[in-house]
Amino acid sequence: MISSILLLGGIGFLAALILGVSAVTFAVKMDPREKAVLDQLPGANCGACGYAGCAAFAHEITTNAEAEMACPAVNEEALQAISGVLGRTLGGSAPLIACVRCKGVPEQTVNRYEYVGPKDCRAAQLVAGGSKGCRYGCLGLGTCETVCPFGAIMMGEDGLPHVIESLCTGCGKCIDACPRSIIQLIPRSGNYYVGCISKDIAKDMKPLCKVGCIKCGICADICPFEAITVSKDASAVIDQTKCNRCGLCVSVCPTGIIAAVRTPGKARISPEKCKGCSICEQVCPVEAISGKVKEPYLVNEGKCIGCGLCIEKCPADAIERIIS
Amino acid sequence: MKNVPASNPAHDPAKGQTAKLSVYVSSSPHVHTPEDVPWIMRQVVYALIPGALVGVYFFGIPAIKVIAVAVASCVAMEALWQKLTGSPLTINDGSAALTGLLLAMNLPSGAPWWLVVIGSFVAIIIAKQIFGGIGNNPFNPALVGRVFLLISFPVAMTTWPEPRSFFTQAADATTGATPLGALKTAIFEHGTIGAAPEMNLMDPFLGNVGGSLGEISALALLLGGVYLIARKIITWHIPVTYVGTVVVITGIFWLINPDGYANPVFHLVAGGLMLGAFFMATDMVTSPITNTGKIIFAVGCGVITVVIRLWGGYPEGVSFAILIMNAFVPLINSATKPAKFGAVR
Amino acid sequence: MKTFKGGVHPPEEKKLVKDNPIVSFPLSSRYYVLVQQHLGAPAKPIVSAGDEVRKGQVLSEPLGFVSVPVHAPTSGKVKEIGRMVHPVTGLLAPCIVIDADGKDEWADGLPLERDPFSMSREELLNAIKSAGIVGMGGATFPTHVKLSPPKDKPIDTFIVNGAECEPYLSSDHRLMLEQPERILKGTRVAMRILGLDRATVAVEANKPDAIRLLREKAPADIQIEALKVKYPQGAEKQLINALTKREVPSGGLPMDVGAVVQNAGTCAAVWDACAHGIPLIERITSVTGRGVVQPKNIRVRVGTLVGEVIEFCGGLNEAAKIIFGGPMMGIAQFTQEIPIMKGTSGVLVLREEDTNITLYSACISCGRCVEACPMGLIPSVLSKLGEKGMWEKAVENDLLDCVECGSCTYVCPANRPIVHFVKHLKALSRAASAKSKGA
Repeated sequence: MISSILLLGGIGFLAALILGVSAVTFAVKMDPREKAVLDQLPGANCGACGYAGCAAFAHEITTNAEAEMACPAVNEEALQAISGVLGRTLGGSAPLIACVRCKGVPEQTVNRYEYVGPKDCRAAQLVAGGSKGCRYGCLGLGTCETVCPFGAIMMGEDGLPHVIESLCTGCGKCIDACPRSIIQLIPRSGNYYVGCISKDIAKDMKPLCKVGCIKCGICADICPFEAITVSKDASAVIDQTKCNRCGLCVSVCPTGIIAAVRTPGKARISPEKCKGCSICEQVCPVEAISGKVKEPYLVNEGKCIGCGLCIEKCPADAIERIIS
Repeated sequence: MKNVPASNPAHDPAKGQTAKLSVYVSSSPHVHTPEDVPWIMRQVVYALIPGALVGVYFFGIPAIKVIAVAVASCVAMEALWQKLTGSPLTINDGSAALTGLLLAMNLPSGAPWWLVVIGSFVAIIIAKQIFGGIGNNPFNPALVGRVFLLISFPVAMTTWPEPRSFFTQAADATTGATPLGALKTAIFEHGTIGAAPEMNLMDPFLGNVGGSLGEISALALLLGGVYLIARKIITWHIPVTYVGTVVVITGIFWLINPDGYANPVFHLVAGGLMLGAFFMATDMVTSPITNTGKIIFAVGCGVITVVIRLWGGYPEGVSFAILIMNAFVPLINSATKPAKFGAVR
Repeated sequence: MKTFKGGVHPPEEKKLVKDNPIVSFPLSSRYYVLVQQHLGAPAKPIVSAGDEVRKGQVLSEPLGFVSVPVHAPTSGKVKEIGRMVHPVTGLLAPCIVIDADGKDEWADGLPLERDPFSMSREELLNAIKSAGIVGMGGATFPTHVKLSPPKDKPIDTFIVNGAECEPYLSSDHRLMLEQPERILKGTRVAMRILGLDRATVAVEANKPDAIRLLREKAPADIQIEALKVKYPQGAEKQLINALTKREVPSGGLPMDVGAVVQNAGTCAAVWDACAHGIPLIERITSVTGRGVVQPKNIRVRVGTLVGEVIEFCGGLNEAAKIIFGGPMMGIAQFTQEIPIMKGTSGVLVLREEDTNITLYSACISCGRCVEACPMGLIPSVLSKLGEKGMWEKAVENDLLDCVECGSCTYVCPANRPIVHFVKHLKALSRAASAKSKGA
């Protein structure tokens, strides 16, 4: 009994000794600041920074005093923390989010042929240029979903990819993966984008897709900020630097192709604060507010597009946005 | 133009507008051999039929029960796993059924049904599905099941009913030793093979011996093996090299000491060597992909089998030998890459 | 009989057309001449809408050495320079549309009469380039480039490729039977250009009538060699290996082992160009497969719509796939409104039961693909890397040596689309190189 205890105890002690010595002899010298920086990075190794993973980028930014913050996936808090660790302020870039500029669900589009092959959009594109009738439309095989390191884009029941706003870091891997360049990055502060990139003239596009941009130009005409450009052989594009997110274009688009990254919060008038001045009713572009002068006005939530103009103009600050 | 739908008459090829045809488009090639995975599995099952029939003949209804339970539970386990994990169902490729049959062939005919079911679970779920399903398992599933059962239920797995004609199956079976078992006992207890009961070669060749229900008839298995080679399901490299290695090594020792070692022909026909060499070691997923690799693999199997048979604690070493060599297959594959056309030296 | 290592034996299916003599496809009312019908630098159209053109008139100007012009297949008027679906990529490509005037008049001076054996090497190469001759076996590599290897690559072997190893196709077979002189004379022109006194015409042993006839007609310095029937015997590298035992080095070309290979049809076209100044405006095409009612071998002008050709052959019959080329390396099409090109050796129409549309499953490491691969690669590894898009590892595993012959995919029991995976990996690799160059 004693001998077993001594023997096993001895083996254990010997093993511990070997491990302890190895831990010291073979220790990898790492700058503790580098470890602290690495802890703040998301750890998804998406490569958007241009380095071979988070560890490589942490090393670069710690050792190179000139290195800029290149990780699109760090939030404000993490950015402050890293700046603190390194003792220099790092400017984050405007956070970006992916948007999928195609709304051509299978029911509204035609296919040229029946595709047989691997379930990968890039591979499918090699076979006669892809089976979708529209050369610019989404092939729906989900390569974007496969490559996203954050699980932020998922193929929906409708056969199109959908971006999950809370998870997308704007790393850009899905942009590279899409063979038709349908996915694009817009600033997170932005909201509206045109869900079509077709360059076919309306007459050629209509037989191929019922929901694509018909290049009617109504959105460009109505935009108060001149943020939209469109021509007969280029789908409408919203310039995110000029867009003020009023949502007017959305309400006038005949095919409903302009989409929102997040559902805009609709307006609600507080009956206690409302003075009944009727300014909100006058500025509402979709006639969603009604009421009698000197009495509290009411927003018709079904019609409200969440453009926020009434909120801006209300002299009594009586209107707020309901966050959905 | 025929076959052009009139629905869109305004198409102009010179503008890239073409009439839709209902066709498939894929990458080349556009033709394929009819020999697909289910076909291969079927051929292996056909090749196993003679061996299974001999087992049923000598061991009776219990053998049929073992085979039925094994096949049914393997297929059911695979289907259940794939349903639970939301994976596509692949039971139609026949690989689960084949694993069931091979597992049954490796069990004693008296194995109780619950033993067979546990074996199926280990073979299909642990040795195959958790690795990612067919093609991803490093070890031969039927053998993993068998070895697990052998180690966990040594008594049930070494209770060998005596072979009798199918038509005299009414009374309870008596049990006895397999030829290799008798050999090992004789060596351990007396140091010479002389003390072992009469070891004629015809019995294990035809099948009139105790043993796993599928391994007993060297002849039946040989017929099946030749069929597989003729149909190009397997190549000669593994079976011939495996058997050859065993014969050569046991032959050398028998020549040195005929009293201490059984003759090589006995080693050829007794035990699970024929079953292992033609049906288990040749499992495509767990054997090397090149012919040179197959030879190396088979030599390794042969050496380990002989070492266990002659000097190990177990009388039979085929299952362990194959499983151990399965572990070396990735290494063998990378070491035996084929010569590339136009390799720049 | 000589052969190479690896390869497969798909059912030949040549009896559908191999005994059908060549018939001329009648004149069409409109021709669609794609500007890019060759591998290499683009060419620029030099005609515009409204121009009157005559048969054999030059329509485009090559922009570079590795480039060839296209010519008018008949006389008429240029309707427009449009864009149509290109059979090779499936994408839109520039195309010269010609409305035929029905007179089918040659351009001035054509056809000529001259003696190629008193022309200089440069004159011959010029004639070949101006005639727009490209490899008619399907690869469409400019012939004048192939026949003028650089000085540091001495050539001692010229091989005429009469193997026609693709199942179903018989266009070269019929050409060898019906116009062997054109092939043999073209061969001698090529020999003159390369400065050789011997050449070999390689024919697979499943064409004994052609072998016999060629041996009868061939002069002493052209040897006719019968090769074992195995796909892909007609692949350049395998052909050279079977005949000479030499292996074209990885990443190299046949000229690196002193060989030049030219398709039999190309040799015939070379003769027409050098002796008569006739440009490449028509070819022999096998329209075959059980998906077409009356398979035929046709002499057809480049630019003819395939739909018209299929109608000429009785129309479609339960067609599930329409393929330009053979079943192993041909390109499936999604429409009949595409033109016959210089390299269209076959129009193959398959029914669903003749082709394979099964979903693929996991690799079972059976090793059949390794046995089949004529380039000594391990296709199963490439297919697994292809599923994951791991192109860098694939390049390490000799991805770029794959000739995409399809032997591996043909035998794979799991129906894995290995060639498609290889194409996918190669495209990823090219995109990554382009990105790093641009960045």
